[in-house]
Amino acid sequence: MSASGLDARVTGQLRYAVDAERPGMLHAAFVRSPHAHARVVSIDATAVGADCVALTGEDVADLRRYGCQVRDEHVLAAVARHVGDVVAAVAAPTPRAAREAADRVEVRYEELPAVYDPVEAVEPGAPLLHPDGAHSAGEAVSIGVRPLAGTNACHRFRLVHGDVAAGFGDAEVVVQRAYRTPSAAHAPMEPHAAVAEWEDERLTIWTGTQTPFNLRADLAVAFGLDEERIRIVGGTMGGSFGAKTFVRQEAVLAALARKAGRPVKVVLDRAEEFVTLNRHPSVIRVRLGARRDGSLVAKELDCWVDTGAYADCGPGVATKLGYAGVGPYRIPHVRVDALAIYTNLPPNGAYRGYGAMQSIWASERTMDVLAAEVDLSPLELRRRNLLRDGDRFATGEVMHDVQFERCLQAAADAVDYERDPRGKGLCVLLKGMQTPSRAAISVQRAPVGYVIHTAATEMGQGMRRSLQLLGAELLGCEPGQIEIAAPDTDTSPYDTRTTSSRTTHMMGRALEEAVRDLRTNSNERGYGEIRNEGGLDPDSGQGIASTHWHQGAAAARVTVDEETGKLTVDHLHGVAYAGRIVNPEGAALQNEGALLMGLGTTLFEAIEFADGQVANANLSDYNLPATGDLPTRFTHEIIEREGADVHGLGETVLPPVPAAIGNALFSLGLDVAELPISAERVLAAVDARRERS
Amino acid sequence: MSAVQWLEPRSLAEAGEVRAQRGAEATVLAGGSFLGILMNQGFLSPTCLLSLRAVGELRGITVRDGELCLGAMVTHRQVERDETVRRDWPALARAFGIVASPRVRNQATVGGVLADADYASDPPAMLGALGARAVLRGPTGEREVAIDELILGFYQTCIADDELLTEVRVPPAEPGAVYRKFRSRSSEDRPCVAVAAARSGGALRVVVGACAEMPQHYPDICALAAEGPLDGAMAREIARRYAERLQPLTDARGSAGYRRRIVAVEVRRALEELGGVGGETLVRGRQGGTLVRGRRGGTLVRGRRRAGP
Ligand SMILES: Cc1cc2nc3c(=O)[nH]c(=O)nc-3n(C[C@H](O)[C@H](O)[C@H](O)COP(=O)(O)OP(=O)(O)OC[C@H]3O[C@@H](n4cnc5c(N)ncnc54)[C@H](O)[C@@H]3O)c2cc1C
Repeated sequence: MSASGLDARVTGQLRYAVDAERPGMLHAAFVRSPHAHARVVSIDATAVGADCVALTGEDVADLRRYGCQVRDEHVLAAVARHVGDVVAAVAAPTPRAAREAADRVEVRYEELPAVYDPVEAVEPGAPLLHPDGAHSAGEAVSIGVRPLAGTNACHRFRLVHGDVAAGFGDAEVVVQRAYRTPSAAHAPMEPHAAVAEWEDERLTIWTGTQTPFNLRADLAVAFGLDEERIRIVGGTMGGSFGAKTFVRQEAVLAALARKAGRPVKVVLDRAEEFVTLNRHPSVIRVRLGARRDGSLVAKELDCWVDTGAYADCGPGVATKLGYAGVGPYRIPHVRVDALAIYTNLPPNGAYRGYGAMQSIWASERTMDVLAAEVDLSPLELRRRNLLRDGDRFATGEVMHDVQFERCLQAAADAVDYERDPRGKGLCVLLKGMQTPSRAAISVQRAPVGYVIHTAATEMGQGMRRSLQLLGAELLGCEPGQIEIAAPDTDTSPYDTRTTSSRTTHMMGRALEEAVRDLRTNSNERGYGEIRNEGGLDPDSGQGIASTHWHQGAAAARVTVDEETGKLTVDHLHGVAYAGRIVNPEGAALQNEGALLMGLGTTLFEAIEFADGQVANANLSDYNLPATGDLPTRFTHEIIEREGADVHGLGETVLPPVPAAIGNALFSLGLDVAELPISAERVLAAVDARRERS
Repeated sequence: MSAVQWLEPRSLAEAGEVRAQRGAEATVLAGGSFLGILMNQGFLSPTCLLSLRAVGELRGITVRDGELCLGAMVTHRQVERDETVRRDWPALARAFGIVASPRVRNQATVGGVLADADYASDPPAMLGALGARAVLRGPTGEREVAIDELILGFYQTCIADDELLTEVRVPPAEPGAVYRKFRSRSSEDRPCVAVAAARSGGALRVVVGACAEMPQHYPDICALAAEGPLDGAMAREIARRYAERLQPLTDARGSAGYRRRIVAVEVRRALEELGGVGGETLVRGRQGGTLVRGRRGGTLVRGRRRAGP
């Protein structure tokens, strides 16, 4: 809020990374590979002009490989591994001059064979993107990464629970199905932007990032600096949805600023956004076995997760996708095998839901296929198998505060499912939160209230508002008396990152500690820190996947114009379990936003590639949902429980939307196994139904 | 790096002179909604822009001798909301009113949409079905061209480098003209298949847009309508022949095969609406903010007809 009482976003007072400026700064433009896989033979940057600075391979020869989970990225690519890979960069006095100068840089390439499909990429003989991949994975820091040497698989996650072969031996009914999901764009309104500046051999970067401390750590590796020599200042982001995580534009920019000896700024354009970070395409095969009465006995999940040219957090995504695909069910025998696979597409990374959508789509569609086989209502089949308090999940952990049935029932009731299930579909989900992780926060007394220092970042999700509300309650003051300082790695206490819907849950508890500490420090200053310990063994999938579970459900009611395949969503309902709600308005907005994003994923969104080149790198050809695409009825609810913890809900109702709509179609005999569910695919399903009957 | 030269004539005469002098070297700028995208994406870097926004003479909506005359700089939104257009050319108001979003419609102009000749636009098919003519003004005077003479192919028109499109003239419409926009994706998307159907002087004109490089009109197939009442069987037959004749393109909105099927459905539906054939009419519109998508009788029953003539 500003002095006028108006939201600073409305008055234009809020500063975003695109607004950052430093005295004397230059502007950068990147030179990007037009080839999906090519060795850079030579670069001639002599034509850039006297007032420009060009950055080429030799300028970064001293810099090391970096990467948040696998060290496979170079500040400039000597081998371009996707269309859009940055091979050189230029700084100039204006953005336009930089663009023009970048166009004058001559690069000669030697093209290499490329692969664009994750299943083909792990077949024998496929071109290898990172021949020394196993070696760089060995340097990985944050999670146990298991590369398959000599292949494009940079990580293999396996989960083994019970004896799956014996389980299928016991099964009376077995269904098997394969599903596909495409790449998608995060499409935040504000593109990636940053300013980098060196002073006394110290690097400062002003940037929009969800991961200030991870960014600092990765840059420290790349530049061979102590982390303390790097300062990351994060501003409010104009949206992110996972796009602004780890190192994106910042490494090249820092190298360019180092060479220029001046601050340098970059703002990516929309087309560049489409080659910077996207969502993982996937192929998922599900095999599900049950008894005639519908009790599940065995499940197998094989996942090919396309992480693109660089691993980024692909190993983590493949892991989460893998165990989320088990679903919130009691299944005695489970086997999951999820590969994170390199292809010559732009890198794929965190995207609201972190892989959960892909496998939930596959698994929850299969539940309805099974329900038809055993002649049970899809609702009843789920109810019979849902996890309950005290049950063990396939990872071996015991489940607490279990609310799946409540979520599912609420979704079913919203569309009056039990009266008539035709044209309706359900989905229930389990999704983990980043584990292990650490969050710390400090509170300091100020003349008119308090200042909270945290590395948690604001991207429109309402983090600041939630912390103000929580702080006001704990400190006994008005929310407006609490200032939330901008994230700054020099002054903010450590936080793993603002992802995974974890901030309100983690930071809220850290804040309680900080306020307790403040009380013992004559009300001047307090510090609080929360750790959640755990993690899964990548070879067995056993351990603690999540210290707190995101639980939710969705229901959809659809009608189909069977002559054109055009689908109308008459009603979409999302349910998220929140434990305790901190910020009711913010929670509602998060739910609505997640549902709407789920709708885009379901109906329209797909990045189309032609030989690795994005064919729809603009927001006209890449269709996002518009207001007119809202379902006729668009509702949601947030479930609370007396005495419960605060649960995150930034992502929960996105992943169930595709399966809820897909299952609604399935109830009409229309079977679509690939996203998005386009009119053309629905019409093909109408034809297939006609052929069957 | 050179700055773009900006020319902003204050009258049509002045605009015509500048156009005649500078020709292709000065890019004509109307609402800029098409040009802006091309420039942003680096497909076009004009050195000189000739803006028509200060030319008041191009902003009129008038009726002359029963014909609707739309100035080239009239926005889509103005056509959509104009009382006269809504009353006497309702299908035209609809075709302009269904373009993209209000933001785009406030910017895009009648002249711009015809001169850019994008294959996936809405108004050209409707204007074609209504028998509209574009007025092109050059140094030696004016000429009138029909829509199917104006649009020659993908982003290509017959407008000469020294000509401006100044006006569009739409003959009086017989009641009941129909515009159907089939979108395979978002509600703000361009059409996958567009069908405009109208009767003028007793003759039927069906124009299919967004399926080929220019709007498709087959007079010989339309002539079938003269042989009998426009009933369900006639609608199906004309639709079938349109689908058969058309060579649809493939793009992100649908494959050629898919489009062909949709043409058969949408042309039939358009003719059913035009002929007042009951049963399958889709009611699409907004009432009080909520979207009403009803279909008489709930699920679709093929070939159901209204009793009576
Ligand atoms: C997000 C978005 C969605 C859209 N969706 C749709 C849709 O669903 N349906 C649809 O029909 N259209 C759609 N459009 C297209 C839009 O209607 C066109 O961009 C618009 O019609 C162009 O009009 P303009 O006045 O902005 O033209 P400009 O961009 O100014 O000009 C277009 C072209 O015409 C030339 N030109 C303009 N006026 C004249 C003149 N008087 N004489 C000679 N040459 C001239 C220009 O030189 C230029 O080449 C969409 C556009 C956008 C941006």
